[in-house]
Amino acid sequence: MSAIELRGVTKGYPPREPGLPAQELLRGVDLTVQRGEFVAVEGQSGSGKSTLLHLLGGLDREFDGTAHVLGCDLRAVTDAELAALRHTQIGFVFQSFNLLPSLSALENVLLPDFFGDGVPDAERRAREALERVGLADKERARPVALSGGERQRVAIARALLARPPLLLADEPTGNLDAKTGQGVIDLFRQLHREGMTLLIVTHEARVSHAANRVLVLREGVLQTEGAESMETE
Amino acid sequence: MRVGKLIRLARGNLVRELGALAVSAGGVALGTGCLVFFLALGTGLQDVVHDVFPVSTREVEVVVPQLAIGSLLGEQKIDEATVRRLRAVRGVAAVYPKMQLRIPAVSRYNGTFFGREMRVGLEVVATGLMPELVGPDARMPFDDRGESQPIPVVINRRLLELYNKVFAPQRNLPRLTDSMLIGFQLPVELGRSFMTSRTLPNPQDTSMLVVGFSERATLAGVSMPLAAIQRINRKYGADADTYSSVLVRAQNADEVTDLAAAVRKLGLEIDDTERRYAVQIGAAVELVTLALSLLAALITGLAAVNTMQAFYASVRERTREIGVLRAVGATRGDVAAVVLVEAAATGLAGGAVGVALARIAAALLDRLARTGLPDFPFKPTTFFSFQPGHVAVGLGVALLAALLGAFLPARAAARLDPAKALTES
Repeated sequence: MSAIELRGVTKGYPPREPGLPAQELLRGVDLTVQRGEFVAVEGQSGSGKSTLLHLLGGLDREFDGTAHVLGCDLRAVTDAELAALRHTQIGFVFQSFNLLPSLSALENVLLPDFFGDGVPDAERRAREALERVGLADKERARPVALSGGERQRVAIARALLARPPLLLADEPTGNLDAKTGQGVIDLFRQLHREGMTLLIVTHEARVSHAANRVLVLREGVLQTEGAESMETE
Repeated sequence: MRVGKLIRLARGNLVRELGALAVSAGGVALGTGCLVFFLALGTGLQDVVHDVFPVSTREVEVVVPQLAIGSLLGEQKIDEATVRRLRAVRGVAAVYPKMQLRIPAVSRYNGTFFGREMRVGLEVVATGLMPELVGPDARMPFDDRGESQPIPVVINRRLLELYNKVFAPQRNLPRLTDSMLIGFQLPVELGRSFMTSRTLPNPQDTSMLVVGFSERATLAGVSMPLAAIQRINRKYGADADTYSSVLVRAQNADEVTDLAAAVRKLGLEIDDTERRYAVQIGAAVELVTLALSLLAALITGLAAVNTMQAFYASVRERTREIGVLRAVGATRGDVAAVVLVEAAATGLAGGAVGVALARIAAALLDRLARTGLPDFPFKPTTFFSFQPGHVAVGLGVALLAALLGAFLPARAAARLDPAKALTES
């Protein structure tokens, strides 16, 4: 069974002003990602990459077409079921880290444990996750006391807490210097080797090089790298 | 989402937004403080009213109607037969007849009165009470020991208060206490009046022995054992068989209404003068308390509006964070719960501060009253009575105001589109 299955997904926004055409960020996107794949989606700013990611994470349900993630029909399930899917099955990593400034690094990693039925053995897992991203000694630090690279690693540790089978990342190295970014890419490679499915939207070639499949979003149309349009199995 | 985790998550936000939320909590504290202050003041004043007009919910004073056909014909009276009929009324637990001293009597005091020379003459007004009614208020035996012995008397404590606060200061007399007066003897001349025309043949010199202080004692004069009054009235040929009034005690307060109706059927009346005073003054105090409490509620309402604005601002500032919460698995309900827990904490903190402020303000006002107000009769040591219920009401209102204020912001937070929230700059 595939991890992600999109068929004819179209996502648009109403025109900004009367008389102007409606904005279409995704146009009839078809996409299949097998479990264990590492897929990079490239595209220029405004090409719909983040929209695609939000849609795959069940954060945006206003679209046409069908979308199945880990066997879950995103348009058929309830809000609570979607929340549960995000809680246990999907890890998110954002370009701007999105850590809660009032919480320590450890508490930020533990954030998924605050919701739903919590995460089994959460504290131990959180410490392991921090250790894995090399921040075992920073668990009490607030985000403001961490560097950009450290914040992103805390965000990755948070995404790994529930040990989700799918990781969605939005420009995860966008705000990092080359060296720190490379560290994050290496971490993604390692997660991929461990069997995790990764879909990363990026406009950085070095991230794409790490993936085993690269797709390009151009004006809402998803294409394989170098092709006019794509559909891949 | 478990409560402990919810509180842990909310705590961080509270610390971060301490400044803005302190303003909201301050508003809640002001409203709650005023509310608790006025409630305690109302209860304290009610206590004062009860001290001045002590009324029992189980007892009624039965008297002969002042204007009745029966009384005009000379038929309406309270005698032993009437007392027996009253005892037989359903719901009556006890009946205590009272009788006025129906002959003149005077007390002349000429000598040292607790360290001061005093020369005074008073007409004695006395009422006879059954010793069972006075009960333990009498510290020494309260029964008639015959002509040769001093007549035991009990005095109403309110009378002592009036003496101490009005009479004694005006005449430069010593202030008196229970212990000073119990055992004190006053001379009394039975059958004598300062008006010569009222003086009876064969007046008798005896004395009155103060044996205690009781709310049961008459406010106008002294109270003697009923048997002593009957003996004296009989000796001087006055009516010793009909009673002035009867105190009827019901088995429980609920039966007083039926009991009063039964009393009226017997052609008698209920003397509820003191009860009416107590009810009227109590109602006035309640009305003022209600008005002031409404004012406090209005302040709390404004605090709720302020809380709403603060939480709307907080939600706006935390839009992206709310998106993150949704991304890691929070439901709409979880997001609303986080906001409401923050509001609850703000409200409870404000409520606690408000209760503390009310207590401090009350203590200051009491101190001011102690030092700044003259020592008038029944002046209480405190004008406030803080009850656990007031604290509960204060905290409850504070919590409610904060939750109501945060309700719409919480709903707005819950309704945020997570995808849009995450792209919020």
